[in-house]
Amino acid sequence: MNTTVIKTGAPMREADMNDATPKMEIRGVSKTYTTRKSETYALETTDLSIGTGEFVTIVGPSGCGKSTLMMIAAGLEEPSTGEILVDGSPAGPAGPKRSVVFQRFALFPSETVAQNIGFGLSVAHVSKVERTERIKEQLTLMGLEQFRNSYPKELSGGMQQRVAIARALIVRPEILLMDEPFAALDAQTRTVMQEEVSRLHRRMQSTVFFITHSVEEAVYLADRVVVMSKRPGRIKKEISIPHDAPWRTGDIEDAMTYGDFNELRKEIWDLVREEITTH
Amino acid sequence: MTQIKSASSTRNRSVRVASQPFVYGAVTLLCVLAAWFLATDVLHLVGSSFLPSPVTVIATLFGLTVQPFAGATLMGHLGLSLARWALGVGAGILLGVLLGIVLAWLPPVRAAVTPIFEVLRYIPPFAWVPIAVLWLGASMSAQALVVFIAAFPPCVINTQLGVSTVDPILTNAARTLGAPPMTILRRVVVPVAAPSIFTGARIAVSNGWMALVGAELIVGKEGLGFLIAQGQFNGDVAMIFVGIIVIGIVGTLIDFLIARAEVWTLPWKTDSK
Ligand SMILES: Nc1ncnc2c1ncn2[C@@H]1O[C@H](COP(=O)(O)OP(=O)(O)OP(=O)(O)O)[C@@H](O)[C@H]1O
Ligand SMILES: [Mg+2]
Repeated sequence: MNTTVIKTGAPMREADMNDATPKMEIRGVSKTYTTRKSETYALETTDLSIGTGEFVTIVGPSGCGKSTLMMIAAGLEEPSTGEILVDGSPAGPAGPKRSVVFQRFALFPSETVAQNIGFGLSVAHVSKVERTERIKEQLTLMGLEQFRNSYPKELSGGMQQRVAIARALIVRPEILLMDEPFAALDAQTRTVMQEEVSRLHRRMQSTVFFITHSVEEAVYLADRVVVMSKRPGRIKKEISIPHDAPWRTGDIEDAMTYGDFNELRKEIWDLVREEITTH
Repeated sequence: MTQIKSASSTRNRSVRVASQPFVYGAVTLLCVLAAWFLATDVLHLVGSSFLPSPVTVIATLFGLTVQPFAGATLMGHLGLSLARWALGVGAGILLGVLLGIVLAWLPPVRAAVTPIFEVLRYIPPFAWVPIAVLWLGASMSAQALVVFIAAFPPCVINTQLGVSTVDPILTNAARTLGAPPMTILRRVVVPVAAPSIFTGARIAVSNGWMALVGAELIVGKEGLGFLIAQGQFNGDVAMIFVGIIVIGIVGTLIDFLIARAEVWTLPWKTDSK
């Protein structure tokens, strides 16, 4: 099953990569937050192109502006300079084309798990029958069937995070923006979710922009890893991961048994560590 | 499942804990009644023209329920008072919540309206009674306007507070899922701000009730406040007490009902009160 997906998926991706217009383009974007008391220079001028169906992961020290970059990419925060292009034209306001999984889940407290997951479908006036069907599919995928009628505050952090992921996936976004989506999960669930996201990405060919603190996760999931410097953030290095990397079909535990994987991991980890230890 | 179970057991426990103060309260109330009865009917410590006995008061109360006074029975007066109150409080809550949302969402409007609002807020509702009578006549609407003036500010303030403290990450999440502003308001902002809105409504309800009785004492030809004023005018102390007691009981009931309404409408906030 997995191999056939790769066989049909790989040529498509190759074609897309050569395509002149990237799916999303971050062009000359910088950000300075101005509050009454102070100014924070959060993000230096940044350029980044993400191809259709590409999976880009971002790593960098805490506070370097990763979430800021994602908020701007989502259309939720105004950049101080620069612009975001989607399919070659200005991206405009936030919308379901660019779905977001927030670092702090952001579940709607007054709605049940099922209502939260179905939110994007009900505002898009998807028929009740289809909505129920797709909500059920997500509940099963995330192992949340039992909690469909629970409220977010009745769930553990890991379950809340799964609801947040399901809510973002159900709208079948062209671009999926995920801010440390697996941070609150236990190790086993995280492994399962990583495989799931990897599989979903290959199946749906959605473009993914994924922030993480875990270098392994970054290498395992990515077509390209972007390393950011400490604040004010700037892109320090971009490292492409081969399409045919052998670890793509297994889980992350398997991946760590590959020498190439560990070399990449070490290279990236050293780049990140420089940013944490230098003052 | 376990979580749901534990949530309901917490609720049961809180009911049990709550029933104990209720017993204490009932005992205290009985003691007060007994002391009152002793001081008047048994020991005759105070003259009946100062403090009528509870028996007289109850008799007057029942008398008033069958025998109309000034064109209406006790129920009639109560009904009229409630109608004025409902009109004023209803309008106060409706417009107050709307204005509160507008003020929280539109900073320019807030900047423009807040100074006027701050000044108006410190004028006691009763100061408006003569104006209300001048504009609307001493009928239903004058008292309702005074109730409105008492009920409106707490709704505006608490709604604005509730709406402006809704975490922007929630409205952002709704935006990325494609929700238009009105949907965000209805499904995210208002529910999250609801506890604060309820607080405002509760204050509005009790402020409105007090303002109503005050206004009725001053003007009008019916209502519970009018009964008290007539009791004073005719030297009928028992009637004054009937008015006071009915006002207290109805006020308590109203507050209890709105507290229940909050629990019913916010099932996702089980441990809130
Ligand atoms: N709304 C805001 N107002 C002012 N300053 C902000 C705001 N949001 C972020 N910042 C500042 O911008 C900088 C970058 O923040 P950001 O959240 O983008 O970092 P991050 O890389 O996502 O960090 P982490 O890995 O800890 O999530 C920080 O110094 C932060 O304090
Ligand atoms: Mg962050």
